[in-house]
Amino acid sequence: MIPAILRAQWLSMRFSRLGSGRRGAVLAIVFAAFWYGIWSLLAVVTEFFAASLPRWYIETWLPVGLLAVFLYWQLMPMASASMGASLDLRKMLVYPVPRGSLFLVEVLLRVTTCGELLLVLTGLGVGLLRNPALGGWPAVSRVTLAIVIFAAFNLFLAAGLRNLIERLLNRRGIRELLALVMMLVAVLPRLLLVTGAPFHRFEPLLPAARNAIWPWTDAARWLLMGFPAGGSLVLWTAAAWVFGQWQFTRSLKFDIEAAQADLTPAKERTWTAGLYRLPSLVLPDPLAAMVEKELRSLARTPRFRLVFVMGFSFGLIVWLPMTLRRGRHSGVSDYFLTLVSMYALTLLGQVTYWNAFGFDRAAAQIYFLAPVSLRRVLAGKNVAAAIFIFLEIAAVSLVCAVLPLGIPPAKIGEAFLVTAIATLYLVGIGNLGSVTYPRAMNVHRVSAGGARGRAQGLVFIFYPVALLPIFLAYLARYAFHSQAAFYAALTGAAALGMAIYYMATESAVSAARTQREAIIGQLSRGEGPMVTE
Amino acid sequence: MSDSPAIAVHGLRKVYGDKAAVDGLDLTVPRGCFFGFLGPNGAGKSTTIRMLTGLVPPTGGAIELLGMRLPEQELAIKGRIGLVPDESLLFDRLTGGEFLEFVGRMYGLPRAVALERAASLLGLFELRESRKLIAEYSKGMRKRVAMAASLIHHPDLFLMDEPFEGVDAVGARLMKDILLDQVRRGATIFLTSHVLEVVERLCDRVAIIDKGRIVHEGDMNDLRAGTESLEDVFVRVVGAEREFHELEWLR
Repeated sequence: MIPAILRAQWLSMRFSRLGSGRRGAVLAIVFAAFWYGIWSLLAVVTEFFAASLPRWYIETWLPVGLLAVFLYWQLMPMASASMGASLDLRKMLVYPVPRGSLFLVEVLLRVTTCGELLLVLTGLGVGLLRNPALGGWPAVSRVTLAIVIFAAFNLFLAAGLRNLIERLLNRRGIRELLALVMMLVAVLPRLLLVTGAPFHRFEPLLPAARNAIWPWTDAARWLLMGFPAGGSLVLWTAAAWVFGQWQFTRSLKFDIEAAQADLTPAKERTWTAGLYRLPSLVLPDPLAAMVEKELRSLARTPRFRLVFVMGFSFGLIVWLPMTLRRGRHSGVSDYFLTLVSMYALTLLGQVTYWNAFGFDRAAAQIYFLAPVSLRRVLAGKNVAAAIFIFLEIAAVSLVCAVLPLGIPPAKIGEAFLVTAIATLYLVGIGNLGSVTYPRAMNVHRVSAGGARGRAQGLVFIFYPVALLPIFLAYLARYAFHSQAAFYAALTGAAALGMAIYYMATESAVSAARTQREAIIGQLSRGEGPMVTE
Repeated sequence: MSDSPAIAVHGLRKVYGDKAAVDGLDLTVPRGCFFGFLGPNGAGKSTTIRMLTGLVPPTGGAIELLGMRLPEQELAIKGRIGLVPDESLLFDRLTGGEFLEFVGRMYGLPRAVALERAASLLGLFELRESRKLIAEYSKGMRKRVAMAASLIHHPDLFLMDEPFEGVDAVGARLMKDILLDQVRRGATIFLTSHVLEVVERLCDRVAIIDKGRIVHEGDMNDLRAGTESLEDVFVRVVGAEREFHELEWLR
């Protein structure tokens, strides 16, 4: 059964990942090579240090390193809003597949979110074996077993946490709150550190964190000394397996539709409905109709709402500690609002402009059926995206005004201006990406990222290029110590941005004319037995 | 201009790889006709409709709708077509009313008119639960919304791919009455359906397509006067009178 499930998924993924052209496949491979290349390098560095450092040093720092691996493994998929592949349980429920087998597939799929960590752990293992002070190659079975069990513990726990969080994120009302809590947990230590929190009060806790009762400490002891040092790790792994199974079973019984039963906007307030109608006051139809439709649809899409909340809260929380550094003038504080705005612009890209037709799925055909040019359709989507981007920045500005950050109005204006110009570049390129690499997006999989593979590759390639003119404007200010130089360069960047937006959108319209069948095909494509995001 | 047929298709071809989905289709549908376009699964019906709507570019041949050539006069043609596709193409995060208003405005109706027509269509199709998102609609309700959307701009030509699929008997009766009313006012309906009884009762003319080619075309009055039912004709011309082979393991 397990091979049948995996094969079905491979067949479903084959066309969506690689089948739409050699260019896309090459880009996906290049992106994967780049990402895993960095992690391979890190694995080699880890191997080098593990092989050459003295035993006492490794004994001190190995638990810390494994704690970092554990935290990255469990938190990173959540923080990056990308939880990797998982079984689409609703599709699997009709088949007589034992739950144990399904759980095994689910666990195997967790590997998709931690390939980089397996590389690092392999590097660590090889390094430890090459270190003569730690027993050398005769310890191969001990080291291998310890790493395998530590990886299994993380995999079981990650599977359980994923299922738990997926269910919570599908419940309206607590979804956005949970996202905020998750982000706060992730950045709280740093926030405490830079704001000069009374850390000495936590010092009594440190020996406890190094206690062998924790899986990372015990895994380190096992790697260095062998069994029975790993007793608690085995217990933790068993507990993680039980937790993973339990959460998996609960997810099997979970009814997404029931959890979202109150999705209907019956209670939508009159003033909200009035807000949606605002574009009609200034824009002509069909542009106004498109903008209204986008505003309504996106505001009611769980995944968009989550990303929107993350856009301002995560950026704010990540950059705030640097701004609040005591007694030091941080360069970050000068550009705090601009940085947070750019972060929000980037994050919103995955649900608005990088794959503009993603949430419409097969219904995007309507745009090709209606007597409206695609230029207008894209313009409508872009205007709606811009409205959300600027709402996001307005929210951030409001928070900054409330907090004692001392951001002058000129900096707020600068943040808006720079983001507006960056929006021109990115949305223009996004239009091209939306017709070149369209992909149906799942509105329910709120934890999943929108851009992946080829689209992510495009983001990585175009982002630095697109923002270069803005960077040059800052360089001009730095070089000439002149605001005039900055704004002159920024004006040039805006003019270039408009030209790029126009050219990219025209190219997108032209491409859509010839490739509409392929675009509709991609957007209508169903998913296999797994959701890979 | 109005003497030109509603649909005139000559030598229409669509080839995927080395397989012709539609292979030299010639078809003329006069204005004001209720035309049934039939065929077995995979015969090329949906591909033909998708080419008529401009969603799929043909590999060869010529298409003229309401006297205008496709793709040269694409936007003008689209403004006068109402489409009910085989799968309901609706924006799930809008309510039925919001969707109808959106479609009306995309077809050039002033907002006030679109709103008014959307409200009356919701009433006509018994979709009064207008605050419910389309995502929560049943299949039948989705079909009704799609049908209502095809009517909102008062088109001259309807292209309908399995419009009654998944609709209950009451809804289907309502939709048939509306369609017949549209034909009476002079609109043309080009309909595909696997429910041959419906086609037999509603249509003036039928064409049967198999393996991308028209294998039968005729007037329903001639058929009704004869001894064969539409089903008999269908089975005969598509060569579907196959022998039933039992599978040993299914016994």
